[in-house]
This record gives sequence, C-alpha cells and structure tokens, in this order.
Amino acid sequence: MIEVKNITKKYGSFVALDNVSFKIEKGEIIGLLGPNGAGKSTTMNIITGYIEPTEGEVTVDGINMLKRPKKAKREIGYMPEGVPLYYDLTVKEFVNYMAELKKVNKKERKQKVANIIESTGLKEVQNKLIRNLSRGYKQRVSMAGALVGEPQILILDEPTVGLDPKQITEIRSLIKKLGKNHTVILSSHILSEVSQICDKVIIINKGKLIAIDTPNNLEDKVANDNSVYVTVEDPENKMENIKEKIPEIKEVKLILENEDKTKQYSIKGEGNVDLRKIIFELFAKEGITIFEMKKADTTLEDAFMQLIEEGGEK
Amino acid sequence: MLAVIKKEFKTYFLSPIGYIFIGLFLVMFSIFFYTDVVAFSTTNFEHIFYSGATVLTFIVPILTMRTFAEERKNGTEQLLMTSPLSLTKIVLAKFIAATLVIVITELCTFMYFAILSYYGMPDISIALVTMLGFLLLAMSYISFGILASSITENQIIAGVITIGFFILTWFLPNFSEIFTNFSLINMFSKFVYGQIDIADTVTYVAFTVLCLLLTIIVLQRRKSVR
Repeated sequence: MIEVKNITKKYGSFVALDNVSFKIEKGEIIGLLGPNGAGKSTTMNIITGYIEPTEGEVTVDGINMLKRPKKAKREIGYMPEGVPLYYDLTVKEFVNYMAELKKVNKKERKQKVANIIESTGLKEVQNKLIRNLSRGYKQRVSMAGALVGEPQILILDEPTVGLDPKQITEIRSLIKKLGKNHTVILSSHILSEVSQICDKVIIINKGKLIAIDTPNNLEDKVANDNSVYVTVEDPENKMENIKEKIPEIKEVKLILENEDKTKQYSIKGEGNVDLRKIIFELFAKEGITIFEMKKADTTLEDAFMQLIEEGGEK
Repeated sequence: MLAVIKKEFKTYFLSPIGYIFIGLFLVMFSIFFYTDVVAFSTTNFEHIFYSGATVLTFIVPILTMRTFAEERKNGTEQLLMTSPLSLTKIVLAKFIAATLVIVITELCTFMYFAILSYYGMPDISIALVTMLGFLLLAMSYISFGILASSITENQIIAGVITIGFFILTWFLPNFSEIFTNFSLINMFSKFVYGQIDIADTVTYVAFTVLCLLLTIIVLQRRKSVR
C-alpha cells in the first residue's frame, strides 16, 4: 500500500532521515516510534507530500507521490502534529471545506460530511466555532478532516497528545475501528498505546530505521533475560543453598525483604529453561512456601530502550 | 479551487478584515468625493479614483498580509499542501478571493456615480476605464502582497514589506527618469483620462503574473528545504 524507498532528507549538513526504506501492507495499523527529533514527523510529512525528500521516493497504492502528487494525495487523510485548524470556521464548515478540497462529489458531500461528524462524535458541537472548542474536540475535528473523502490511508501524527484518559480511550477505539478498513500510520510517545493498537511497529532513531516488526516479535527479540521472580516464606533459610539443588539455576538474588517476613528473589536460569515448574516442585519438597511467582516480562518499552541504545552505539 | 476561493473570501468577512478594508476605503473615497469632485462642482467621477489609488498603497496589505503567512504560522498550510490541489491553484484561489474584495469595493463606489448622475452627466465610459485601471493596479498590488506573505510567517513583516515596496515604486521616478515607466501608480493616471494604454495594461498584467509565479516558486522551493 505504501512503499518508502531509500528516503534521505537533509537540511544543509544535518541529516534528518538517512536512507530509510519500508513497506506497509493494506489494512495494517503501523506505529511509528522514536525519541523526540528522531524523524517521525519528517517521515510522515514526506509520505503525505507536504515536504519533498532530498533523495528517494514514496509510492502510495502504486502511485508515485513526487510524480503524480494530486492522485496520490487523494488516497491519504492526514492529521498533522499539533492539530492545525481554521479557527474562524465552525466544525461543519471546516469538515465541509476539507471535503471540497478533497473533491468529494457535490451530490454526496452533504451526507458524507454529516456521517463523519456523527461518527467522530461532533454532532452536538457542529455549529460551534472551532476556536471555542476544547482540546479533545479540536483533536476530533482534525480527525474528521483526515477522514473525509474516504482515503485509504490515514496518517495520524500523535493523535492522543493532550487528551484526558477518557478521551484517549475513545480515540484509541476509534483508531482500532478505522483500522478495519483503512491503512493507518500513527506516531506516538506512549509505548503501551502502540503495543495495544498497532499490528506493526517501526522504530526510528536519529534518522535511521532501527526495526520494523510486530510488537510481540520485538519484545521476544530482546527477551533473552530468562528470569523468574518469586516471593517466598522461608523460615529455615533454605534459599541460600538452593542453587546447588537445581543445576539449571544460574543466579539467585535477594531483591526485597517484606514486613510479613516473606522475601522476594530473582532467579536467573540457564539458557531457555523454564524454571517455574522445577521451582514449584522442589520448593514444596524443601518446605519453602511460594506466595507469588512470575516470569520476568519484557515489555515493548524494554525492547525500545535496548534498540535505541544499540542504534546509538552503531 | 472554487473551494479555496469561497473559503478565503468568506474568511475576509468572518474576521473584521473585510469590513475594515471596505470601511476604510469608503471613508477615504467619501472624503475625496467631497474634496476632488463636490468642492470643484464638477461631475468628474473618476477623480476620486486618482486620489484613491494612493489609499490602495496602504490598505492592500490588510488583505494580503495574512494569505500565506498565517497559514504557515498556524500549521494549516499542512492541510492545504497535502490536499490534492496544485500550488498554482492554491495561489490563484487566494489571489482571486482578494481581487473579489476589491471588485466589491469598486461596485460600492457606484453610489458616488449615482449621486453625480442626479445632478449632472458624468461620463460613464471614462468612469469604467478608470475602474478597470484601478482594478489592474489593485491586482498587481495584491499579487505582490501575496508574494510578500509567502516568504515570511510573520504577517506584520509581510505587510511592512508590501507597503515599503509600493512606496518605493511610487517615489522611484523622483530619483531617476529611467524608473518613470516602472512606477505602478503613475501608469494609472492615463486610465483616469479615459485611455486604455496597451503598454500599461500589459505591464500591470505581466507584473501580476510575475509575482504569482514567484509565489509558486517560493512555495515549491520551501517543500524541499522545509
């Protein structure tokens, strides 16, 4: 659906994007991740045709953005960073204007605009001036502007910034719903959000593409630390020499002594052995009571941090 | 393109800008109507335009300074530039919308013509030729104003550049005779006598086209350096 080929963007001697290439299939929801100034917005601006790359090309649904921008731009709905809007217009006027810009058929325009206002929950404010709306509503107006004209691709630059938790959940479920019949690219700082919504994640740092994969695969890639956390009651202090009894254990570390005399340990295993079963059976024999046991999880956050750091060293 | 023209035109009247523009214009024209026409007991309707042309220098920037500067500052140009509309059409649409405001203002001035017709016989053909010249002058001013607005995101700077340039072209002939033919406002005087001078008309149109072309180039260039 979208193909980005060897995109480089230079500002003088500063390289904002360095030979970035990726492909996005139809119907995918893609999360664009990266620290501030990594090149996320630049990437989005190039895909939408707002700026031109120094080198490389972008094709949208097989249409080259640089050569046939009019046709390519029709396929894209863009919600830019910081939700720029025409404050002198009412919600309805704005959505209608966007529909006209995107050349929505005149006969169908009224109905389509009404549908979009309805589906983005803007009906009760449709005759209000945009300048008088709250941040959450402005965000939705911007979203409505992106949706109008039925583009196949939606590009959302930080769609949940500045919203309250309730609005964030609403926008997220809206994006998920839209993902069913659109290809969506969104950028975000919130990693949990990305792992919840997105099918795939693209990580960019310092203008370079570091990884493109599903959130789960990314988590697995860095999940080499095979640890188990246990909280136990151990009156005879048998934990000290437990390592000798289970050969698969590499390291036992006391993390915390709780007030109720239970202790929390982190136990590191050899290779990929799942220690949980062994621990459960042996601890029972030894008279150590397990209060809690859990396998250490790598989150997308860990994966992200590790990839960014590795990328920085290269 | 019609969408942008409509929206731009509407925005002039959603904000006070359009009303201030037309209001100022008519106040000045009414004064000139008194001092240039009534005071001399003539029916030379076109004389108010002669003085009016100087007013144009100072109030055209009110219309043009926001055209691109404001969109750039608010980020709304992202919406415009990512829409399936070519730069040429965007620039033309903004130009046409501003020109329409001038046309409306000119239509308002027919009330002076009506007053004069009641008392005498003002010459309609000279009046129309004068108005055409006035429109051509206004169009070349607008196109320069739009160009100035496209190079900065600060409306005030755009306005100051525009007025500065107009005043410069106005006074250039005072420095050297070579510039006589380049003074936009001087070219207008022939129209007031009822002559459509081809050379002057072509100069106005060429200047307008040049400024609009430069605006398109500026915007296109910014795409690759932005």
